[in-house]
Amino acid sequence: MRGADYVIKRTIFAVVTVFVALTINFIIFRAAPGSAVSNLARVPGATHALRAELEHEFGLDKPKLQQYFIYLGQLAHGNLGVSFASQQPVSHELLQALGNTIPMVLLGTLFAIGFGTFTGILAAYRRGTAVDKASVSTGLFFYSLPTQWLGLMLLLIFAGTLPSGGRVDAFLFNPTPLQHILDVLKHMLLPSLTLGLVLYGEYTLITRSAMLETLGEDYILTARAKGLSDRRIVTRHAFRNAMLPITTLIALSLGYIVAGSILIERVFSWPGIGQAVYYSVQNRDYPMLQGAFLLLTLSVVFFNYVADLLYFKLDPRIRE
Amino acid sequence: MRKIRIAGVLLSLALVAAACKGGGGGGNNGGGTVEGGILRLGTASSIDSLNPFKAFNQDAYNAFFYMYPFLVQFDQNLNIVGDFAKDWQFNSDHTGGTFHTVSGGTWSDGKPLTANDAAYTINLILKYPGPTGLEAGYAKHIASAEATDPNTLVISYEEPVNESWALAQLELIPIMPQQVWSQHEGNGGKDLQTFRNDAPVVCGGPFILTQYQKRDIAQFQVNKGFYGPKPHIDGFGMKFYTSEDAMMTAFLNGELDAVEGVPPSTLARVKGNPNMAVMETQGMTFDELITNSNKPLHPELLNPQVREAFAHAIDQQQIVDVVQLGHAQVGTSIVAPVAGMWHDPNIKPATHDMNLANQLLDQLGYTRGSDGIRVANGHPMSYQVLTPDDVTSIGREFEILKASLQQIGVKLTQKSLDSTTVFDVMAAPDYVYPKDYDKYDLAIWQWTGYMDPDFILSVLTCQQWGFWNDSGYCNTTYDKLYEQQGVTVDQQARKQIVWQMQEMIATDRPYIVLDYRNALPAHTTQWDGFVNSPLGVFNNLSKATMLSVHRVSS
Amino acid sequence: MSAVIQEEPGVLEGATEGRRRSTIWQILKDRPSTLVGLGVLGFFILVAGLAPHIAPYGAHTQVGAPFAPPSPKHPLGLDDGGIDMLSLLMYGARASLLVGFGATAIALLVGGSVGILAGYYGGRTEGILMRITDYFLVIPDVPLMIVIAAIWGQSLLHIILIIGFLLWTWTARVIRAQVKSVRERVYVKRARALGAGNGRTIFRHVLPQIAPLLVASIVLTIAVAIFDETALAYLGLSDPSVISWGKLIKNASDAAAVSAGAWWAIVPPGLCVAVLILSCTLIGQVLEDALNPRLRASYLAARGFRIRRVAREEG
Repeated sequence: MRGADYVIKRTIFAVVTVFVALTINFIIFRAAPGSAVSNLARVPGATHALRAELEHEFGLDKPKLQQYFIYLGQLAHGNLGVSFASQQPVSHELLQALGNTIPMVLLGTLFAIGFGTFTGILAAYRRGTAVDKASVSTGLFFYSLPTQWLGLMLLLIFAGTLPSGGRVDAFLFNPTPLQHILDVLKHMLLPSLTLGLVLYGEYTLITRSAMLETLGEDYILTARAKGLSDRRIVTRHAFRNAMLPITTLIALSLGYIVAGSILIERVFSWPGIGQAVYYSVQNRDYPMLQGAFLLLTLSVVFFNYVADLLYFKLDPRIRE
Repeated sequence: MRKIRIAGVLLSLALVAAACKGGGGGGNNGGGTVEGGILRLGTASSIDSLNPFKAFNQDAYNAFFYMYPFLVQFDQNLNIVGDFAKDWQFNSDHTGGTFHTVSGGTWSDGKPLTANDAAYTINLILKYPGPTGLEAGYAKHIASAEATDPNTLVISYEEPVNESWALAQLELIPIMPQQVWSQHEGNGGKDLQTFRNDAPVVCGGPFILTQYQKRDIAQFQVNKGFYGPKPHIDGFGMKFYTSEDAMMTAFLNGELDAVEGVPPSTLARVKGNPNMAVMETQGMTFDELITNSNKPLHPELLNPQVREAFAHAIDQQQIVDVVQLGHAQVGTSIVAPVAGMWHDPNIKPATHDMNLANQLLDQLGYTRGSDGIRVANGHPMSYQVLTPDDVTSIGREFEILKASLQQIGVKLTQKSLDSTTVFDVMAAPDYVYPKDYDKYDLAIWQWTGYMDPDFILSVLTCQQWGFWNDSGYCNTTYDKLYEQQGVTVDQQARKQIVWQMQEMIATDRPYIVLDYRNALPAHTTQWDGFVNSPLGVFNNLSKATMLSVHRVSS
Repeated sequence: MSAVIQEEPGVLEGATEGRRRSTIWQILKDRPSTLVGLGVLGFFILVAGLAPHIAPYGAHTQVGAPFAPPSPKHPLGLDDGGIDMLSLLMYGARASLLVGFGATAIALLVGGSVGILAGYYGGRTEGILMRITDYFLVIPDVPLMIVIAAIWGQSLLHIILIIGFLLWTWTARVIRAQVKSVRERVYVKRARALGAGNGRTIFRHVLPQIAPLLVASIVLTIAVAIFDETALAYLGLSDPSVISWGKLIKNASDAAAVSAGAWWAIVPPGLCVAVLILSCTLIGQVLEDALNPRLRASYLAARGFRIRRVAREEG
């Protein structure tokens, strides 16, 4: 495929996907029973006039199609609307939640990448040995654990040593910036470890198979014939080639991890985007849900796109 | 602590005072008072908003009680006592009252705190009843409020009111700083709803909320300008957990000094720890089986005899024993026993008697089909029960109800939805003001009443159709009595009316009150001075706990 | 196009030609770990099927104090309602496996159809079908599952449908690539030249060829579906009246099992899920590995709650 052609195609796909996704989001949320207004209007002394007024205010009295265009128009202006539940701009609420989620997810992902790549290389380097089998089966074992259950087990084991939940110590008043960072890091350990453990098996296996594949290629055999040491072959040649699938996997997985962190956030009382979604469902907070979905879809599409471009950059075959 | 949202929306609106029984904490080890320190408090709920016109959760209202002055509060013996108002006098015709407020207080931004702020807040609510809806109900019957001088507030009512009723309503209205809120009256008052009231909040109570992270933490520091006694602590922090399990794990591992409520399953571990104390007291929260009392899908459910049979079949003691592990009382009336004089002690729980229950249904001619399920009006007595999924123990309760009713040939199936939707299905079918309650048969719900029975009684009035009324119960006699009790000046006479209303509900059974859950706050023995109540130590009844709580010298 | 691990047309040919004709059984026999996996899967299916007969107590019968610890009478103790945990685990296997198989059946039906149609007919049909698949791939399915489950109401059927309809994309892609390669084979071409109808060609010649890969796809999808069920249950979205392993974890967690020290209520159901998923993963991994080395490790990406399929390709 031609290079420019490829990039254009992927770009168009990304843009169209975003549009499709937000249309689907709108349909899903407006089709839902349970009126947000009936909840808001349930206050002592609330009149039916008030309820009608609220419905008008949130645009829920308009035809669905009109609501859709209003929604699109607002999005075009970067306006995600106002949360039914908190009356605050959705963008404000979401960014706050996302800001809390990203560091935790990042730490866990870094652990998964580091540990997974390491065990993967080890397994490939010592293929067929007990080390190989142990690396692969341990990775698969953690991969098989239900995330929330692993979190609860870690809580059971580490309670007392590490904080049992939350993002910061509620009892550390006026911390210095350094104290605050250390505090957050300490709270991040368990949720990040949970995420890292369930994720790293993937990296182990991907790295291992990519390594094995390159180790069988002609030029590696040539290098070997030239008398290069195994270690040198692994680090200099094989791993460099294995970087391609690993990098792409990282890009692709980043898009989904944020969405997948909801279970971990529930277990560890982490005030992030997953919990924001959970409570928006509970409150029938359509603008929040729509916003969160848009954000999550955008992140997936974005990282997919990044993966595509990375692939384009790293794999010379596409450019020809 | 249980999620508030269900009983939800209501708790916040509904609560009232409580018989604060007994004195301080359970774990008094005789140590002396040590000044200073930060109390670490855990909750499985959270402060959902810092704006009193937006917040739903009980924790938020508890926090407001420490952040803002209130005219009056409850003492440990359930009497109304002064807070910002040091004394008051009602007119002889009961159409108004004069409140003398404490002088010398300042808001945390340095501005003086006066009766003007109290008058401003009340008038603000009266002026914008829509945007201030969450508080507006408490200003019912008030005509106006006026500060005749910086230390005198005069409230006039539209008609003669019962004094204790009126004070119980005022106990729920936080007095807010005029200099802050007058900036947010725009848009016909709608801006009052969108104002975030971010931390640090301008506070006039004993504590200033200095840090707040949604679903995470809140930090409170002592307000030096507070008009009342100085707290022993430097401040307190609140940590919001997503589950009781996470909260209790933290507590048992020494990450917290006190928790709002211990789930019964972990009580043994807490009690087995010599460094921890549980302060158990009877609570205001009750679980009930609601029977649609308007147009249930199956008309036989309107028959009082069918409801009576249900009541006899349900093993309330088993619910108390299994779901609450004994830390509850068998339910009777919608006004809990801890409400003191307002609770009608003549109402007894239905005897658990399967034979009687079966006989009642036999008499109606509802014979059992081949599958053991009775047939009524040509269809099997098989009903769906709506349950809110955010009150975790309700699933277990349903299991017990199901097993009980199975024995009298009635089949129950569970439909679990989030509480918002359950309430919508019950009270607002099709999301329009209901002409009829015709979308469900049975439901399990949880309410927490206040010390004053006004709110919980109002839930069953016709006026509350589409709002708080979940059962569709509508009885004009009951409604008349409800109106009457708020404006019956004589306390004993009001009590008689309140009792009469409870008896009507006990007879008609729109609710079968299953149990009253005990409040189970706990703390470590390094702390003392907690003041308990049916709503726990941290509540919106009184400022007492955080003013008297202190570290114990070892 | 871009793909980390590409599914290229013709993957079954060339390098794997020698192994192509080996039966699933032979592949399994060569790798003892899969036999263990199969054994475990069979054991769970057996327990699930026989639960009413072999469970020592009822799934709704209170037999002692809530959270009573393990004892000779109750080797795994009691749950928060005083019900025997061992019996609950046996009954729980039923719903968990039902979700696993049910959702997989849907995923297979939808994904298999899309894959076969796209791969067999190619051209516009393929373009449209694969575009749709692509859109499904980027929708964040976890939040979507939560929203749909919450709005639709909690029932076992809904859970199966929701999971099934969100898991099919992966199957569709694998199958399409295989069908495309099989279609080009000589004997398939000959069958068509001889006038065999499309339906007949697909069922007689294409399906048998891709059957082993379908089996791999099935076991891996089962694992994901069971995993998703526990997640939905943990978020309070499963059928309240149905006992599944996910629901047992949720019940225990709701009743504060961790802080109450009632490990017996929360450890066994999680282990059951883990062991079952591990067995499915082992079987599926080996099958895929043997049948289609270029798809290596792609199954890992099928786990919706963590990450999607890695392999993608241009239509």
